[in-house]
Amino acid sequence: MKIALFIPCLVNQMVPEVGIATLELLEKLGHQVILPSGQTCCGQPMTNSGCFNEAKKTTLKLLNAFKGVECDAIVCPAASCLVAAKENFHEFDDSPEAQAVIAKLYELTEFLHDVAPIPAFSKSFPHKISLQMSCHGIRMLDLATPSEQMGPRKNKFEAVLAAIPEIEIVYPDKLDECCGFGGTFAVDEGAVSAKMGKDKAQAHAATGAKYAVGFDPSCLLHIDGMVRRQKLPIETRHIAQILNAVL
Amino acid sequence: MSTSKSNVHAHKAEIFCKDESRVDWHSKALWTLREKRDRAAGSIPEWEQLRQIGSEMKLHTLTHLTEYLEEFEQNCIKNNIKVHWAKDGAEHNRIVHEILAKHHVKKVVKSKSMLTEECHMNPYLEERGIEVIDTDLGERIIQLAEMPPSHIVVPAIHMKKEEVGDLFHEKLGTNAGASDPLYLTRAARQHLREKFLSADAAMTGVNMAIADQGAVVVCTNEGNADMGANLPKLQLHSMGIDKVVPNLESAAVILRTLARNATGQPITTYSSFYRGPQDGGEMHVIIVDNGRTDMLKDKILAEALKCIRCGGCLNTCPVYRRSGGHSYNYTIPGPIGIAVGAQHDDTNSIAWACTLCGSCSYVCPTKVPLDKIIHHHRRLKAEAGKLPYGKSNYMPLVGKFMASETALNCSMGIARMALKILPGSLLKPFSGAWGKYRELPVAPNSSFEAWFKKNRG
Ligand code: SF4
Repeated sequence: MKIALFIPCLVNQMVPEVGIATLELLEKLGHQVILPSGQTCCGQPMTNSGCFNEAKKTTLKLLNAFKGVECDAIVCPAASCLVAAKENFHEFDDSPEAQAVIAKLYELTEFLHDVAPIPAFSKSFPHKISLQMSCHGIRMLDLATPSEQMGPRKNKFEAVLAAIPEIEIVYPDKLDECCGFGGTFAVDEGAVSAKMGKDKAQAHAATGAKYAVGFDPSCLLHIDGMVRRQKLPIETRHIAQILNAVL
Repeated sequence: MSTSKSNVHAHKAEIFCKDESRVDWHSKALWTLREKRDRAAGSIPEWEQLRQIGSEMKLHTLTHLTEYLEEFEQNCIKNNIKVHWAKDGAEHNRIVHEILAKHHVKKVVKSKSMLTEECHMNPYLEERGIEVIDTDLGERIIQLAEMPPSHIVVPAIHMKKEEVGDLFHEKLGTNAGASDPLYLTRAARQHLREKFLSADAAMTGVNMAIADQGAVVVCTNEGNADMGANLPKLQLHSMGIDKVVPNLESAAVILRTLARNATGQPITTYSSFYRGPQDGGEMHVIIVDNGRTDMLKDKILAEALKCIRCGGCLNTCPVYRRSGGHSYNYTIPGPIGIAVGAQHDDTNSIAWACTLCGSCSYVCPTKVPLDKIIHHHRRLKAEAGKLPYGKSNYMPLVGKFMASETALNCSMGIARMALKILPGSLLKPFSGAWGKYRELPVAPNSSFEAWFKKNRG
């Protein structure tokens, strides 16, 4: 497939290794990958704060970067940015071109589970990993059944990773509780955000896993900051990095 | 309420967070309720269907509110119940006082009413020489402690049993240092029994008002509402206009989810239906608007009125559990408190006391879209120019900045460089709340875009 990468500003600037792993793994899977230029922030810091006027220009700029780009899918390795982009594009532009872009947007895990599954892994990953079930992916993108919901359960995130030979998957206590990042919440509500992050980091470490693995780089960045502050024996990894290592 | 910084949510939460072992204890106590709820909800195969029916039923009632309220009133009148209408808290309090004054009431026993809290009724009546005794154990505790409730179902959840022991020692004369819950509960029961027997009137909140029956339903675990309503001849029930449901079947749906979602019980110990005064007595129902009609005008805010006050969203909320009920600048805390209270919040901060994680919306038995409502409140506040935390100053800058690749690239380049070469201790003061609690990110060498140009360009 021809895939356009949507690399949100946070990944671009702070965790380029997540972008690289995403690109490499998609290429190893035989896809043609392009990076449309002119991408910027999805507008989430502003719309999350209620500031829609301030978000408009940024959001439309990002949308324009994808309008008219020839591709089968637009893939993003960051769940909350993807959700925000979808909602914000829709909010500010209702044109058929915008609809066409929205229809092609996929979060990486979602893409690998629903659209183009990985046929086989070439290596094994003999480690224990603790899954970071970030809120936006779980509750807004439907990557897994939230713990509050009763009835049949699904988990696309686990399903993609569980196929890796020798991997051991565990969950932290309160498995899908919010880590407390929440965009500007981390700054506005510093004390509560830090306490939530601390509890989450400790819950991951308490599983005895080598890595806390997630699909949302912003949550991972936050948890990583708490892990290092408390010198906990665990490291954070993005799902793309794990997958890229075994392909 | 004052507009000073001291009422801002983040400020109060920071104070609450200073005692970490207390935060852990508080969080755990509430999470235990969430776990009980999960077990109770999971034991009913049709749980998700019940949520859907509950949601649709409440929405239907809210969109036909006038008809159902009129039907309710007419059936009440047939049942010999006197119905009063109050447009706001002040009118509610005046009506209650008039009824009580007419009967020369000096002492009222009260049970289960967040609405009377919302109307600030107790101080109003007390100023007029009427003693109001809250009879739910938790409510009595906070009344004796002269504090507002910190939770809508377990109002004294913030107090440890040792603290209750000290309070009872001081106010009720229990043994000094006693903290055994059984002993304390017995002492409270003894104390309340005297109050019940000497009260001239009883007052309760309303969990549901059944339109086609002209009846009100009151749910308690301690039976105190019934003690109250059955002893004196005069009984009053205060309800918000959103409490009406069409019929017994719809009330049954709520009865099945309410206690399960609140405490994990299959049903509250006492679910009493009142449909008329006792012999020779009087029964009054006061129907209160207090801003609810205004909320109904906004399609998104209107859904907050589907709430049945189970407290489930508070128990699951990771922010509420770690900041305590008193950090919200409103009588009702937590997600539902923000949903119904943000417009009254003069600090404009409670709408931001949320990570928008969405757990509350999924826990809710009537599918109140709490995260959506909270987000909507932020937008309304922003449009009204009422942003907290200096957002009105920095948001336009962030907006411009993010929209400009050059600005973004340059400054992020500098930031990356700074993270690399400056020692953390020098950077921390500049990175504000982030660096105060966390290690700063390890800076990469280049942006992904630059890497891509170099390696794939
Ligand atoms: S909003 Fe829903 S979960 Fe929260 S108290 Fe109301 S009914 Fe319960």
